[in-house]
Amino acid sequence: MSSTPNAPSGDNRVRIVVATSVMLTFISYWRAAAVILNDLGSSAFYAGGIAEQAIGKSAPWFVLGVMLFAFAVRAVYVESCSMFVRGGVYRVVKEALGGTLAKLSVSALMFDYILTGPVSGVSAGQYIAGLINDTIAMADTHGWVPSAVHRMFHGTPQVGVNGTAVVFAIAVTLYFWWENIKGIEESSEKALWVMQITTVMVVMLLGWSGFTLLKVGFHLPPFPTLANIHYSDESLGFWKHSSLPHRFGVLGLIIGFGHSVLAMSGEESLAQVYRELAHPKLKNLKRTAIVIGVYSFVFTGLVSLLAVMLIPDGVRMKVYSDNLIAGLAMNMVGPPVLRLAFRAFVVVVGFLILSGAVNTAIVGSNGVLNRVSEDGVLADWFRRPHKKYGTTYRVINLIVGLQLFTIIVSWGNIYTLGEAYAFGVVWSFVFKTISMLVLRYRYKGERNWKVPPNLHIFGVEIPIGLASVGMVLLSTAIVNLFTKSVATVSGIIFSVVFFAIFTFSERVNRRKHAHTLSQMKEQFQLQQAESVQRETVGIRPGNVLVPVRDYNTLNHLKWVLERTDTREQDVVVMTARISQFGTAAYGLSTDQIFSDYEQTLFTRAVSVAESFGKKISLLLVPARDPWSAVAQTAHNLESSAVVAGLSSKMTTAEQAFVLGSAWEAIPEPKQQFILQIVQPGGVVDTFRIGPHTPTMKNEDVVLLHRLWLNVTQEPGLEKVHHHDILTQALTRFARDFGAHDHEDIVKELRRQSAQAEPFPVRRIADQIHTVQPGPPRPDPDHDSTNDTSK
Amino acid sequence: MSLSILFVKVLEFMFVAGWIGSVIVLLLTGAEDVETLLDTKDETTH
Repeated sequence: MSSTPNAPSGDNRVRIVVATSVMLTFISYWRAAAVILNDLGSSAFYAGGIAEQAIGKSAPWFVLGVMLFAFAVRAVYVESCSMFVRGGVYRVVKEALGGTLAKLSVSALMFDYILTGPVSGVSAGQYIAGLINDTIAMADTHGWVPSAVHRMFHGTPQVGVNGTAVVFAIAVTLYFWWENIKGIEESSEKALWVMQITTVMVVMLLGWSGFTLLKVGFHLPPFPTLANIHYSDESLGFWKHSSLPHRFGVLGLIIGFGHSVLAMSGEESLAQVYRELAHPKLKNLKRTAIVIGVYSFVFTGLVSLLAVMLIPDGVRMKVYSDNLIAGLAMNMVGPPVLRLAFRAFVVVVGFLILSGAVNTAIVGSNGVLNRVSEDGVLADWFRRPHKKYGTTYRVINLIVGLQLFTIIVSWGNIYTLGEAYAFGVVWSFVFKTISMLVLRYRYKGERNWKVPPNLHIFGVEIPIGLASVGMVLLSTAIVNLFTKSVATVSGIIFSVVFFAIFTFSERVNRRKHAHTLSQMKEQFQLQQAESVQRETVGIRPGNVLVPVRDYNTLNHLKWVLERTDTREQDVVVMTARISQFGTAAYGLSTDQIFSDYEQTLFTRAVSVAESFGKKISLLLVPARDPWSAVAQTAHNLESSAVVAGLSSKMTTAEQAFVLGSAWEAIPEPKQQFILQIVQPGGVVDTFRIGPHTPTMKNEDVVLLHRLWLNVTQEPGLEKVHHHDILTQALTRFARDFGAHDHEDIVKELRRQSAQAEPFPVRRIADQIHTVQPGPPRPDPDHDSTNDTSK
Repeated sequence: MSLSILFVKVLEFMFVAGWIGSVIVLLLTGAEDVETLLDTKDETTH
């Protein structure tokens, strides 16, 4: 059996170094805020409308109250992230209250995440349908709708708002289902771009609204007193026939607050992005919290307030209850065409941010379920990777199936969806805050930050701030149980079903994992390491790194072993355990990272190595992005080459480009390496990663030589070399590029690039040559019949 | 006082007391937030 060079003597097991820290690409707090606001900000499109439907015209004060209170909830998240036990609801609740309540809390969180998709998709559909109808209506007033069409529809043609919203929501959900099956990468770049466009809309909206208010005058919405709260039939739920809500003023406030609480959905994402935040982490987390707090207060809070102040009572709930921002756009001062154009812009922004939230819902749910699956409370069956794309397609199918079911059952009723959504939101906050309270007494380790104020009486800490936030959340959640009958019934059924699945899976897994673990321990020796270092893996510099993912495609490992003398050069087989969105928020234990899939993968890799009689080192790293993991590992191990198989989704040039981009993100100093991609037919493409001498075209070499001939004829320049000409040319280019000729140079390069090869890899990973595999090194010990990886 | 009224009173107390405490949290963290925003010693804002 093969083993690593420094495996303990007398132990035949293969050592696997398991890195326990997730390899992350760190992001600035602006990007982190953009990621969170893509979820949190999307609620501005529907929260105000839902709240007003429930409690009447004073709803904006409640939404503003929720947004203000959200600052305090954020403080709870900052404390939880600053503790040793980092992370989201599941990990924190498990640590504080145990596995049963953790499963319950994660069920509530799943309810929240799963409903984010339908509520966002349906809301986007409502905005689109509303725009279509108003555009047709406006065209009709100008006589642009033919009379035949008019007759056919018995009036102005209109699309069914709810039906259209359902069709749209299903289409968007299916689109993102397929994207997630294929395994799209979460991009903070895209989130930042969406938030930039949203900010343009928000600034225009606030500016134009302010101007309108100055022009036409305004009245503030009625203040939230018992007399001003007008409950709808649905807003009292089980208390519909009770006198309690009409007798107690503060109870009325709690009911109103409970109907507005969904405005702060998306806070959980703060915990998810924490591990990805750049240094200094805590300060950047606080900055992120401030940015999202101020932004959502201005966007969600003020938009709800302005809607009541600007949209006439007669049409606000009747026409615009489900697309309040569109109603706001249509009730500004200015020409109707301009207002309609702005409304179209609102719809485009709504489409972008709400569709993004649909994706976030799938990615987030997938992350949470993967996370609990790693903890053994969801059967491994769910985690089996897709044959082609390697994604956890069964989990994705389950999530999307539930979302489609919800969309169809609700039939575009955004009010019902929103009310149910609030159930998950508020209960996951409650579990989180209570757990944080418990941890104040159970967890004695250092915290970098605590929610203030904290009193100390006789040496006992009284967490006033944390308890206060908990009391508001718990009282709201309890009242919601009575006032939101549909949400309570559906939320409880959902949570109980998920809880049952988790509990059953845990029991099955416990038996199965015990068996797997004993098998694994017989074959492998797991060595845990905080990070990947060459010394930890026990290898020499200049080694070959071989990333593997699918145990059916290990041809590139065979290719390497055929050509490498492992006595002279070490071969490291690594696999990146992809931690999806949400998973990165937690520190992982070895058992969580090393599942039976990794065991099978490494068993196959060892079999291949054994068939060549050669040694390999095994390495497992958790990562958010496989390419970053490969680049960082190659950097840390001082590898001279990375040999990969062909991706199912990318060409070799594209693979080189993304790896090159990941390499660029590594801080200096860093060393270059060679990337070789072995294609199934045996063709190998070789790339250099990092700055290197570019491949020069023959005509460029001729031109350089001719210039050199001319220059050396000048008196005093006889000793000039070719490289001096290049230095001078590049210096001039750099100067011109940074100054007045920038545009011309860019234009010229674009023209050249359009005529050149289609892929943009030359900048980072220039393809130097394509080689056919040469004859393998003679290896008398190798018997191909031993190769079990086929 | 019936049980349901007692229940409502407890909820109301929790909500009001919680809000008073939360406002203190907001004031204290708000002051800290301003400090955090003004402190630009590190260069991670890109």
